[in-house]
Amino acid sequence: MRYSIPIFWRNKYSYYRLELTKCKKCGKVAFFRRSICPYCRSREVEVITSKGIGKVVTYTVSYFRGSTNLESYPRIIALIELSEGVKVIGELSDVKLEDIKEGMEVEAVLRRYSSDDPYGLIYYGIKFIPRVKK
Amino acid sequence: MRNVYIVSASMIKVDRYFNKSYKELVLDALTKILDEGSVEHIDYTVVSTLLSDSILHQLDLSTVLTQHLGLNPIPSLRVETGESSGLTAIELGYSLIASGKADSVLVVGVEKLTEYPTNIINENYSKILDYEIETIRNISPPDYAALIMKEYMKRYRIKREELTIWPIKMHDNASRNPYAQLRFRVDRDKVLNSITIAEPIKLLDAFPVGDGSAIILLGSERTLRRSNSECMKVTYITSSTSQPIYLRDDILEFTALRKTFKTLQEGSRLDLEEALLEIHDSYSIYAYLILEELGIAPRGKAPNTVDKLNNVNLSGGLKARGHPFGATGIYQVAEAYSILSDRGLGELKYNGKYGLIHSMSGPDYNSRLCLIEKVM
Repeated sequence: MRYSIPIFWRNKYSYYRLELTKCKKCGKVAFFRRSICPYCRSREVEVITSKGIGKVVTYTVSYFRGSTNLESYPRIIALIELSEGVKVIGELSDVKLEDIKEGMEVEAVLRRYSSDDPYGLIYYGIKFIPRVKK
Repeated sequence: MRNVYIVSASMIKVDRYFNKSYKELVLDALTKILDEGSVEHIDYTVVSTLLSDSILHQLDLSTVLTQHLGLNPIPSLRVETGESSGLTAIELGYSLIASGKADSVLVVGVEKLTEYPTNIINENYSKILDYEIETIRNISPPDYAALIMKEYMKRYRIKREELTIWPIKMHDNASRNPYAQLRFRVDRDKVLNSITIAEPIKLLDAFPVGDGSAIILLGSERTLRRSNSECMKVTYITSSTSQPIYLRDDILEFTALRKTFKTLQEGSRLDLEEALLEIHDSYSIYAYLILEELGIAPRGKAPNTVDKLNNVNLSGGLKARGHPFGATGIYQVAEAYSILSDRGLGELKYNGKYGLIHSMSGPDYNSRLCLIEKVM
């Protein structure tokens, strides 16, 4: 088992949606579900679900090999600014390297992170793909 | 607060020791201190190691090490704060003496990274980031260094080749350090043509994987009187933490280092131009940002100043001396102590009074500074 099932189960809403924490005191929004504001330490916070739309601030094509992350290789790691004005870090998927540009619009989708091949669990989470305009 | 001194320092060459265990590496580093006879008076052992749980499969490594070396019944403990663990161990040793809890503290750094292939080391090293938020999403430390390097090049209109000056200089410095892992010179093309780790970071922009052990013996004034070796004062040691990259307004700012440096400047009188500096250049881009955060170079200008710097990372830095994680901070202090001492470190010598050591974890997730001073 590559990952802890309780960790994935517990964080399912943050891993399978894109959850943010909005502070009712300082008004700042931070990536991930939290019970305390990382900016002002207020515990009056609400968890909101992002629309999942954003722009690539900057990105890298990563060839760094860790034994659990060989499923997507090389990995495209991007800093993304969401339409809610908050930055998240994530992986880009379904895109050719030559098509990636800073400022390009992306949207959050559910993708496979890893699996306990050949018969084990499959781990899913949020990645970003070029925005499909409807 | 009582004064704290470095009574002795010892280290082994950073290398790949497939034929030795971590216990043997520590023993090799400890031999000099055992020979000096200072071990008889040790009150505490503080051990720093980053990956002992996952790579060495050893919990409570400090007790096991104490038993193996016959140091028992001396109390021992282990500290871990990511890549800066070594300097944290010295911070803790300092506190034990300054508070009066101990008179003499043996601070041991050890890391044994060649027990497994590099991809397994990489996987575990990535856990210095937030596992649930960053690591599990396949984010690794060099990815962040790459994002920062790209932003630096873009904002200050710096070409990729201009940023090769740091690794070239570090390899040149390391060729004079007998304890360095990479004792060979490189040129611009060699850096640019090395394999890509995370664009635009090349292999020769990053620290090598290696094993190492370094030891510092800290003591109070009382211990000082017993010592025959050259002693230096630990004048100040302080640290701070910062936000993760994705919560930062500006990814080119190292706010933990900035806060730490401000605290240090308020607590000590230091002229950086006269001090010997050891900075945490795990990736060469970090060296430029650190130099700028310390005010040694204006924003975006650090690459232009590197050539003229003759007081920074004479050891070769993490880049070329190597970065055996938990031992690194102790290597940095041991090197600064040795280079400032009358005997020098091999042919390395620096004619100054102060040494400033910087260590951090990840992209300044935490930063620590230690100021040492010649007292003769």
